[in-house]
Amino acid sequence: MKLYSIMIFFKKLKKNIFLNFFNTILSLVILLTTLLVCLNTFRWFIFNADWRVVTSNLSLYAFGSFPSDEQWRPAIWITSLLLLSIITLCGPCWKWIQQNLLLAWMSTIPLGLYLLYGGFGLSPIMSRHLGGLTLTILLTVCSSLLSLPFGIVLALGRQSSLPLIQKLSSIYIDVMRAIPLIAVLFFGQLLIPLFLPVGIEIDRVWRAIFAFTLFVSAYIAEDIRGGLQSIPNTQIEAAHSLGLNQYQIMQLIIIPQALRIALPALTNQAIGLFQNTSLMAILGLVELLGIGRSILANPEFIGQYIEVYVWLACVYWLVCTIMAILARHLEQTMTINQTNF
Amino acid sequence: MEPIVIAKNLTKSYIQGLRALDNVSLTVNQGKVLVVMGPSGSGKSTLIRTFNGLETFDRGELNVLGIKIDATHNERKIQKIRKRVGMVFQQFNLFPHLSILENITLAPVHVQKRHQLEAEEYGMYLLNQMGIDSHAKKYPGQLSGGEQQRVAIARALALKPELLLFDEPTSALDPERINEVLDAMRRLAKQGMTMIVVTHEIGFAKDVSDQVLFMDSGKVIETSTPDVFFSNAKHERSRKFLNQLEKH
Amino acid sequence: MKRSRKIFLQFGIFIIVFSLIGILINNLTINLIRTGLGFNFNWLLKPASFALAEHALPYSTSDSYAWALLIGWLNSLKVIVSSLLLATLLGTVIGFARTGSNSLLGLISAGYITIIRQTPLLLQLMFWYFIGFLGLKENVLISIKNIFKISNQGIELTGLTFSSEFSALLFGLGVFTSAYIAEVIRGGILSVPRGQWEAFRSLGLSEQTGLIKIIIPQALPAIIPGLTSQYLNLAKNSTLAIAVGYSDIYAINDTIINQTGRAIECFIILLTSFLFLNLLISNSMEIINKIIINSKKYN
Repeated sequence: MKLYSIMIFFKKLKKNIFLNFFNTILSLVILLTTLLVCLNTFRWFIFNADWRVVTSNLSLYAFGSFPSDEQWRPAIWITSLLLLSIITLCGPCWKWIQQNLLLAWMSTIPLGLYLLYGGFGLSPIMSRHLGGLTLTILLTVCSSLLSLPFGIVLALGRQSSLPLIQKLSSIYIDVMRAIPLIAVLFFGQLLIPLFLPVGIEIDRVWRAIFAFTLFVSAYIAEDIRGGLQSIPNTQIEAAHSLGLNQYQIMQLIIIPQALRIALPALTNQAIGLFQNTSLMAILGLVELLGIGRSILANPEFIGQYIEVYVWLACVYWLVCTIMAILARHLEQTMTINQTNF
Repeated sequence: MEPIVIAKNLTKSYIQGLRALDNVSLTVNQGKVLVVMGPSGSGKSTLIRTFNGLETFDRGELNVLGIKIDATHNERKIQKIRKRVGMVFQQFNLFPHLSILENITLAPVHVQKRHQLEAEEYGMYLLNQMGIDSHAKKYPGQLSGGEQQRVAIARALALKPELLLFDEPTSALDPERINEVLDAMRRLAKQGMTMIVVTHEIGFAKDVSDQVLFMDSGKVIETSTPDVFFSNAKHERSRKFLNQLEKH
Repeated sequence: MKRSRKIFLQFGIFIIVFSLIGILINNLTINLIRTGLGFNFNWLLKPASFALAEHALPYSTSDSYAWALLIGWLNSLKVIVSSLLLATLLGTVIGFARTGSNSLLGLISAGYITIIRQTPLLLQLMFWYFIGFLGLKENVLISIKNIFKISNQGIELTGLTFSSEFSALLFGLGVFTSAYIAEVIRGGILSVPRGQWEAFRSLGLSEQTGLIKIIIPQALPAIIPGLTSQYLNLAKNSTLAIAVGYSDIYAINDTIINQTGRAIECFIILLTSFLFLNLLISNSMEIINKIIINSKKYN
């Protein structure tokens, strides 16, 4: 039995890799190069690299300059996010867990804000003490949450039968999508203060969140518009024939379906947003990449670019992969329920 | 006997010269079943869609359940009609993001403002009547066409309508699935439901209908009892159409 | 909705939006007066007095800000066009490797795509710059006589020299975008129905002929829009040049703001240059699209 399956494996191998002369050569070259690259990387990893630049700064990467006796707060938050991901992906299918998952995910945001900023019994922390992965996650979560409703409104506005609303939303979406993110973030940091009345100030982190929201909502709007356009007119007719009014049709029939159709695109936006928070490193926030740069500026670790960047790439890759797996899980649970989607 | 639908001289033209409805007049009394037949593009779908305001018309007047509407297409009146008239579509048009039971309770809860539990109870009763109560928790995509269409009938019944409109309810079904839907419709007719049915099913029309209306190019060609229509149609064009139907 | 209500609603929204804009502009004017800057473009003609390492046209520190901006715009265009070519080339190769019959190659390309797509572009750019070019310990990495040379001074190709800033940006943007283009190509190939593959195989056509004659022509209409949006993304992403010190249009605007404090004016300049750049790219892709559609009709 075992022998048989090994034979099958080799047959498959032959079919897939050693199909003909050209492919055989190609495969061998690839195998050899991969082996060499892996070997060298491995050697560098163990012997050449000096990982102290990572290991002695772990708390900086995770929490930035958060006061050290309060670091349990962001730690709890990140751990709860991680635990929730694990439960969502491979937790038991107990009914009460499944039903309360969404609620749990929603409650992580107020929990995070409370833990990070303090108040109500916890000592208050200023925004400028936020940094590292904590800040990166905070930027991602808050901006994506804020840009979703804004994006829905813009998408509906662009589909509206009222010409003025349609024009305004279209102009906003098109202009936002034409300009680079860094320009919008720059606008958030330098220009928003100019547009505010004298005396009112918003701190840098929230200006960044605001700018990300302005930018991402235009992209989300286009994704949702795609969803809206793919809903057949017959759905609306059926809803009309049941006596539902315009607002009920929007709320109960159109928006839920459009969101489900746009879901893969929306999760991609969230992953993109997570990566793009790194741009704030150029504009002076010490999020994950920013903290890496400031560590590299420390004379003790100067020039250790490779270690720091490889480490940061691993962290970004890991979080992105977790997000992608969660997104695929979400899509699958939806398609299991509804085979037409 | 109380008239449920009175249409007078309904006319609708898409472009100049091409008429979807051409001076259509008809009356349907309470508890009666009207079957509308005709070749494709004859305006029969357009006709029954005007009865719940999915289509507008240019001239004539319409009285559905005592509510009069005309070419101005008054939204408020149409909304009143829709709350009392159910419709079943050719392509079922179930809401794919809602479960079977949610599809059925949607309108009672949000249009009639009934209590969720009460609506669910009545929804389960309707599903039971249609013989599909075991599927209540499933989603439309998991059901066969015949089952979906029975759900659609239950959804239309959930508002306790006084008139049911059927727009070719069996045309999108596999042949072996047609009868389960027709049987459900037969039962409804027996219970005294007023129905207007656009269909090509001769057997159903013979058994159930009180009147058959034959349309071509937007005009009513003839209105007869099924006995007369199927054995001895008055009009040449009706006979031709029936011949072609029987050949298939 | 009734017509009168529609008009009323639009009027209401019009008032809200414009009073909001009014308030913002009012705040802005107050703030600009307070800082003593005001709003004008007269400074554009003053000498820029900062040096630029890279300039396609002659430039000296006594040239005006406007001239510096033009240089920056040309620098942007240069890096966009060259990394666009590199990304298309790499992306096509990887896209085909991903869909091809060699599963080892498929696996490697899949790995390439996930690593590139799941890490931030900015990090990759810094990687290319600080490690790929500046980090070269010995001065010369590859040198083939005097034709082609890679060193920490950049790339030299038969007399043409590219600075290490430009080269890092070129490779960073090219490699990053290629992973996305590979997915676009793969999506286009997969969008051709399976029946088409079976049909050309059943006719006895070889894989290569079938791919070129049957599959690619049908995949192109699905590929072109995806390519266009990737090119637009690349153009927008090129503004990250500032991270490696390449003086593109954004970096020069940034320098000018630091020198003069003219944030609003520079932002407007940046906005218009990007609207123009976008129009340029999408219009050229539109022309390419038309050429492809037309050529299909005649074939």
